[in-house]
Amino acid sequence: MRTTRRALAILVAAGMLTGLGLSGSALAQDASPSAGEEPLTFIVGLTNNMVTVNPLRAIETPEYELLSMQYNLLFGFSQDDMSAVPSLATEIPTEENGGVSADGLTWTIKIRDGVTWSDGEPLTAADIAFTYNLILDQNWSTFTNYLPFTDSITAPDDTTLLWKTTEPSIAPLIPPWIYILPEHVFGDMSKDEIKKYENFDPEAGVPVTSGPFRLVEWNKDEDWTLEANKDYFEGAPTLDRVIFKRYTNAETMVQDLRAGEIDFAESIPVELFRSLEGQEGIQTNVGGSFSYSQMSFNQCYVQKSCEQSTGHPALEDLEVRQAIAMAIDKENLVERVLGGYGTPGTTIVVPTTTFWHWEPGADALPDGDIEAANAKLDAAGYEDSDGDGVRNMPGGGENLDFRFIVRTESPDGVKAGKLITGWIDQLGITTTTQAVTDSKLIDAWLASDYDLYIWGWGPDPDPDFILSTFTTDQCGSWSDTCYSNPEYDQLYEEQRTPESPEERQGIVHEMQQILYEQVPEVVLWYDNDLQAWRSDRWEGFQFQPKPDENGDGGYALFQYGNFSYRNIKPASTGAGAAGGGSSGIPAAVWIGIIAAVVVVIGGVMFARSRGDDEDKA
Amino acid sequence: MGTRGYVLRKVVQALLTLVAVVVFNFFLFRILPADPVALLTRGAGAQLSPEEQAELRADYGLDQPLFPGQFLDFMGDTLRLDFGDSLILRPNESVVAVFVEAMWPTILLVGLSTVFSTIIGVVLGIYSGWRRGGKLDVSSMGVSLVLYSMPEFWLGMLLILLFSTTLGWFPASGHESVGSDLTGLDRLADVLNHLFLPLLTLTLAYIGEFYLVMRSSLLDVLGEDYIQTARAKGVREKFVLRRHAVRNALLPTITLIALSFGFVLGGAITVEYVFGYQGLGLLTYNALSARDYPLLQGVFLFASAAVIVMNLVADLVYGYFDPRVREA
Repeated sequence: MRTTRRALAILVAAGMLTGLGLSGSALAQDASPSAGEEPLTFIVGLTNNMVTVNPLRAIETPEYELLSMQYNLLFGFSQDDMSAVPSLATEIPTEENGGVSADGLTWTIKIRDGVTWSDGEPLTAADIAFTYNLILDQNWSTFTNYLPFTDSITAPDDTTLLWKTTEPSIAPLIPPWIYILPEHVFGDMSKDEIKKYENFDPEAGVPVTSGPFRLVEWNKDEDWTLEANKDYFEGAPTLDRVIFKRYTNAETMVQDLRAGEIDFAESIPVELFRSLEGQEGIQTNVGGSFSYSQMSFNQCYVQKSCEQSTGHPALEDLEVRQAIAMAIDKENLVERVLGGYGTPGTTIVVPTTTFWHWEPGADALPDGDIEAANAKLDAAGYEDSDGDGVRNMPGGGENLDFRFIVRTESPDGVKAGKLITGWIDQLGITTTTQAVTDSKLIDAWLASDYDLYIWGWGPDPDPDFILSTFTTDQCGSWSDTCYSNPEYDQLYEEQRTPESPEERQGIVHEMQQILYEQVPEVVLWYDNDLQAWRSDRWEGFQFQPKPDENGDGGYALFQYGNFSYRNIKPASTGAGAAGGGSSGIPAAVWIGIIAAVVVVIGGVMFARSRGDDEDKA
Repeated sequence: MGTRGYVLRKVVQALLTLVAVVVFNFFLFRILPADPVALLTRGAGAQLSPEEQAELRADYGLDQPLFPGQFLDFMGDTLRLDFGDSLILRPNESVVAVFVEAMWPTILLVGLSTVFSTIIGVVLGIYSGWRRGGKLDVSSMGVSLVLYSMPEFWLGMLLILLFSTTLGWFPASGHESVGSDLTGLDRLADVLNHLFLPLLTLTLAYIGEFYLVMRSSLLDVLGEDYIQTARAKGVREKFVLRRHAVRNALLPTITLIALSFGFVLGGAITVEYVFGYQGLGLLTYNALSARDYPLLQGVFLFASAAVIVMNLVADLVYGYFDPRVREA
């Protein structure tokens, strides 16, 4: 019996060792032996996950980041202000250079010659026409909005794209945020096939890309590696590889940045960001805000689909919406929710896009003015007619009691919700807050079964899409509130077919003003993206958009484009070694430790069995 | 009732529990407040036409009534070990494949830490109980209690701060260096380096449990009459301990050890989360955050099945070591 047990113990120990050894050698097999020098590797830490690398299914930030590194657009977004710049197109079409016909219905766009896909096939105007037609023919609804009024898109030759529209349109210059796909890969696929297409098979040279980097390794939920395309048409990147390492918690990510395991950390929470400020060898960056959070009022009153809406009747009254907007102290929210890393919100077009953003002037609604808000409600006839401490509808109707939904997935939203309900409470209006998951909020929102909720948007650089979400026919689709205003709808159509950018700017401003004054929702804040990197190792970051005089407001990575990735290079000063240095003890020491453990265990067991034998004797 | 009856009874009990878990699993994931189609389309559901939504529903059998249609389908699939495809986290990959991939790192991490903490905990517990009130007893009691009551994630963060950020000896996250082209022994060392901190955290956190159970059960046994009898017979103290006391005192610990191995497949959610160690714990966390219900359903079922099986093993082993149990 004893012998068996000892044998078993030895077997287990041996098994563990061989198990480790096996896993080691098995791992070793799939690692390619390093040839020559270490590749110049830049490691980006992030907390968002990448779920798909299929360009038509991309939603999450890392998925879009990968798209911008792997593929190209017809027109890109400029580094300074995100306006349209040539990318696969060689120039911005104008009437002068013959790019736009006099009636504004035909766009002739010159396409770069000599661009190739990663498998050597040429990228031509045919690929661009194919991609756009694919979106339209298969109705990829996330993208169709970029191609309005399209009559036909064709490629008469390899370097010409012909886009005909039924209305004079500025759509080509918005520009369409649709990455160009290789026709020779996607050409024969049905929509269902594309939906299921993984677009990653390194053995087969997939993905087939045109950008400065290409995905070569992907450990799902963990890390993904891109290799530089040294033949890239806008210039070879200095880096050889970019690796994204995904963290489940920002705390560990920041510790790894300090320890030098990673070179860059993206979207750092405020408290951790503060701890990095002023650290030697680490550069922190307050990125611009491309996103906003808003509190929406149920405005589903007019449309047919609003029959089942359960919105409180008081919210139909502009006075009530304005009063609530006035009670919200936005400065306070930015300070207490965002730790100061943000700006109070005004309109749905973010101020980062300076050309399009409209800012209310002297007639702006007051912020955090409870007294004025109360006076407004008094004047509008909302009195506490039944004496229960809560205002009633004019003429002694129901209480002003609102259902308020916040998202459990957004701690910021939950925090803001608490502050806001506190202020609303001081207006003699009661609220019932419900914290729910995104999917639950989607249900409530689609059924218009709510009074207020907090959510956010990260709009495109061009205002077209975000403005479209307030048009009447977006109710039940992208509309936050089912807001409906024929005048606004009219303006939306007008801004799509303007005579000049300045004319369009005027209309876009007017639309923002309408939304600001009509308050279908309150834009609470624009939040900054907080980034940090090892400045002792790397330099050459390109910021987008142009930073302000404090050096804030520009993104170092996660831009509308791939400016930094193409220009990052090892720092000329400082002794920091390039690349993520890996800590740990060497193989020989580990072998020693394991051997020592085995010897100790064996020794103890041997001594024990000797002892037992002695006892028997 | 004889041995065979005992074994049979335990096996039947385990099977019944397993069936109950499967049934519970079915209903649990169907009363959750979310429309699977909305989840599948990741919030863009609004963009799907009613026809497209109906088609999706039919694809996943969601157009059928919960009972008996969906339930019978589910039971059939479960028997065939077909848990379908992950919906969101790993689109188009089978749940079983995703589970198996995440299983090995967890078996390595949680399995090894259970082995280490068992050995250390039991040995410490025996010495502590034997030399009750001694220096070793007092100090190991204090340390064990502190480690046992400390939240694992916090212990993990402290170890990261010490070994990774301050000393720079061990990496803080992942299961191997990203982008390294290490081969052979260097790669093995790299894996071990990444394993070290989470393994240390879990081992330290688990020791207390085994230690406390072993120590108190030994103390109980040492107070028994037959120990006094053995001493009165003049048996050497060492053999009183080894032959008479420890053997009996080990019984509750054996149950605990068997159960602990059952929980290996549950992963170590907090520790895997802190160290970004891609095992079953993190898979569960990711599946939950992504609302990937088919994947969660599979993970839950495997984890529960493992506990049930190890519980059965514990019962049988207990019965083997302690004949009294069989008679009960």
